Amino acid sequence: MDHIDQILRIHSALSTFWWILLGLFFVIYIVLDGADLGAGVFSLLLKNENDRAAIMASMAGTWDANETWLVVAGGVIFGAFPLVYGSTFNYLMIPLMFALWGIISRAVAFEFHVHAKGSRKFWGLMFGLGSLIAAFFAGIALGATLLGFPMSTKNAQGITSSADPFANTVPHFSGNALSFLSPFSIWTGIGAVIAGGLAGTLYLCARFKQEDPIYQKAHAWATGFSYLALLAVVITLVWSYAIMPDAAKWTGSGWFGWLVLLLAILFSAYKMMTAHAAHRDFPALLWCGLIVVLMWGGMWATNYPYIVPQTWTIDAGGNPANDLAILTLFMTGFVPVMIMYNAYQLWVFRHRITHLAGYESH
Amino acid sequence: MIIENTLPIMLSRLDFAFITSMHILWTPVTIGMSWLLFFLEVAWLRSGNEKWYRLQRFFEKLFIVNFGAGVATGVTMEMAFGILYGPFSQAVGPFFGNILGFETITAFMYEAGFIGLMIFGWGKIGKGMHAFATFNVALSSSLSAMWILVANGWMQSPRGVVLKDGLFQVTNWWNAIFNPNFDIGFPHMWIATLELSLFFFAAVSAWFILKNRNADLFTTLLKPTLLALVVITPLQIFLGDELGREVAADQPTSLAAMEGHYHTYLPNGKFNTGWHIIAIPNSKNDGNVFAITIPHVLSLLETHTLNGKVTGLDHFAYKDRPDVWVPFYAFRAMVAIGFFLFFMALWGNWLRLQGQLNAAGLRRHPWFLRLLVLSGFLPYLAVWTGWWTREIGRQPWVVYGLMRTWQGVSHMGVTAESAWFIGYITFELMVWGGAWYFFSRIIQKGPDLTSPVIGSAPSENAGGGLAQASFAKPTFGKPTLEKNR
Ligand code: HDD
Ligand code: HEM
Ligand code: HEM
Repeated sequence: MDHIDQILRIHSALSTFWWILLGLFFVIYIVLDGADLGAGVFSLLLKNENDRAAIMASMAGTWDANETWLVVAGGVIFGAFPLVYGSTFNYLMIPLMFALWGIISRAVAFEFHVHAKGSRKFWGLMFGLGSLIAAFFAGIALGATLLGFPMSTKNAQGITSSADPFANTVPHFSGNALSFLSPFSIWTGIGAVIAGGLAGTLYLCARFKQEDPIYQKAHAWATGFSYLALLAVVITLVWSYAIMPDAAKWTGSGWFGWLVLLLAILFSAYKMMTAHAAHRDFPALLWCGLIVVLMWGGMWATNYPYIVPQTWTIDAGGNPANDLAILTLFMTGFVPVMIMYNAYQLWVFRHRITHLAGYESH
Repeated sequence: MIIENTLPIMLSRLDFAFITSMHILWTPVTIGMSWLLFFLEVAWLRSGNEKWYRLQRFFEKLFIVNFGAGVATGVTMEMAFGILYGPFSQAVGPFFGNILGFETITAFMYEAGFIGLMIFGWGKIGKGMHAFATFNVALSSSLSAMWILVANGWMQSPRGVVLKDGLFQVTNWWNAIFNPNFDIGFPHMWIATLELSLFFFAAVSAWFILKNRNADLFTTLLKPTLLALVVITPLQIFLGDELGREVAADQPTSLAAMEGHYHTYLPNGKFNTGWHIIAIPNSKNDGNVFAITIPHVLSLLETHTLNGKVTGLDHFAYKDRPDVWVPFYAFRAMVAIGFFLFFMALWGNWLRLQGQLNAAGLRRHPWFLRLLVLSGFLPYLAVWTGWWTREIGRQPWVVYGLMRTWQGVSHMGVTAESAWFIGYITFELMVWGGAWYFFSRIIQKGPDLTSPVIGSAPSENAGGGLAQASFAKPTFGKPTLEKNR
């Protein structure tokens, strides 16, 4: 019995480790690509096609790497939590499908826009709309995940066969294609667009020269978005507290920790807004990133011990212990390396540009 | 048989087949051409000859359009397993999920970390660093192919796992990763990417020479390309044959379907050794209505003996037999293309021996050039038909012999699957159309021979770090380049 206990403990430790790494990858993705998507949404407000091109040029060297953090998060779910992967993605089919269409449109618009002549407007629009759709549906997917979903261990296609070794073992998603839809999930979709808009405009402020017209427009919009975002955060917190069982923690015995977290978020928001008003653009962007990290960390902690609230616990969704051990042994070392060369790439492309970048093509 | 083909199952197979077929259109160029671009870059840096630089920058434009399409379709693939094949993903997760996790971390992220530097880093990072970035893109995309073939090879010849509590738990990682199908399937796929990219080079070069534009520049490229092809094309045929023998050993149903081989024994009790050039399988899937057959060839191919035994479909229950039509004809298309491409490589090098491999000499052989342009498309077809053979030949199993396809399909209705299918057909065909349109635009425009070699004039608006790169050998202005437009 002792051995089994030990294995269970190892399993629990390893899956918690991957749960934390997963949270890390998601938040890196949201901070980096959130800004790119938001800048895309903002580009819909510009009339001149070359201005849109300048926005695309500002992230030309980095968008793919930023987006790949999502692929990494997906790969880690598949690798460490395949049971969660195989059921949650099934549940989220429609939002993921739309988000993917957004991502596809955006990815190809990047490559095609520079070469296009007659279809330049079209690809510019695909870039903006793709970003909007991707952000909106990614937000919906997040909200829907927070609400959990129904599962059953029967064959997913409803086929019963006497000798099916897979029946009555692992639970699969058993709802329908529209199970994800709820007022809350739609709201989180809207929230994601607002948050993206804020991150995107702050990012553009940091990337364009301050006397540039794009800078000035982005700066004004960022101010507006920051008030909207504050409001959205308050609504989301109240709503989550009302409907999510795990949110009861906030007022439980550990209330003091949660209060500190809330104050830290408010403080960062204040710093972000003052830095922005003073045209200290890079610090403003960093404060914004910090807010995302704090809120994401808060959400991750709220869900513990669940990975999908009320549906999959970290332990139940994880791979068997020895497979997790292999993943840990071989992959953990790459994580800092990965972060390092991505940071180098972001550093190379750090300098401010002007709207004229949009007139260059290669 | 009845269970396997309910409409939702059929649809999710089609859905998956469509998106993989669209993804595989782009990745071979990423994998193969990144190596070729690296070689061009090294040739430039070592010889100081500007023409390698011009060629590199020209093909790089095509490369980047292709890359965008590859990422767009690839992200779809990763989500598709969980969406369309949820129970499959869960059951194989302990092995398969880990491998895809390895892939994202050691290949996708690795590649993404360098692709921006490679494409947009010109003039912002030093030339050594740039060549290093190109090299890393090449290495990482090959790693990506390796991992995905580990995963798919394991589905063809699963090893090193036990099925426990509905999960395939790994008992021996070494055997699971280096499964017999991977050992030969990966080299075959990897060489296919090189073959495809080399023919891409050759076809574009042939087009320019035919049009008499930059003919000398592209003849310079054609020479090493054809030389490499005369090695690569027979190697690919050899690897294909080895892979066929592997399939015969590990997946007898798949091999029998590829060869339309129904009867292990002839009516007279001897082994059936006949190889069909053409066959029309009957509707019961237990024999051919019509076939043109050469005796002994099948045994020669699969056992390397005149009269060896090759197991036919009659050894297996009806419910374990794959469809024959697709594997049979797809396989023949791939093989025919393999030999045709070998022939083209021989022809090109024969012309070289005749001293005809220069712009003037080549224009005296317009049919060679025209067929070379055609040969740019054929490897794509070979890759498609190869995968169709492989994937349909594995049916009705998703993990050969262990998990049937119907056991892996997600809980989804016909409406949801159709919505997915129509949506992706629209989107991915749009990507395909767009990419080909821009390929042709870039090719029409031709290589840029006039703008200064990067590193000599930093761009004002490009926004980068080290604006001044240190290119040691300023080669622009050398009278090596003709511009015969
Ligand atoms: C890592 C795994 C993997 C890889 C690399 C590929 N496939 Fe695949 N393929 C599958 C994993 C898979 C699968 C999930 O296992 C499917 C879905 C249903 C099935 O039986 O196998 C499948 C089915 C499937 C089918 C339908 C067969 C049928 O159900 O009758 C086709 C035509 C292809 N694939 C084609 C391809 C192509 C063109 C690929 C090139 C990229 C490819 N596959 C790579
Ligand atoms: C069916 C299984 C497959 C899955 C799940 C898959 C998944 C993916 C994903 C998620 C990406 C995007 C990575 C990024 O964001 O940069 C991608 C790109 C790529 N895939 Fe696949 N892929 C599959 C099949 C293949 C095959 C068969 C090959 C080649 C033999 C391949 C080679 C590549 C390469 C080289 C890239 C990066 C370059 C590019 O995007 O053009 N993949 N794949
Ligand atoms: C005479 C030449 C060839 C032979 C005998 C051959 C043989 C094979 C065989 C036996 C398979 C495995 C089918 C299965 O698993 O059911 C295969 C797969 C494949 N072939 Fe070929 N092949 C040849 C040429 C080519 C060429 C020229 C290309 C591309 C340029 C190519 C690309 C592929 C691909 C992408 C696959 C699927 C991946 C894999 O199995 O590794 N093949 N081939």
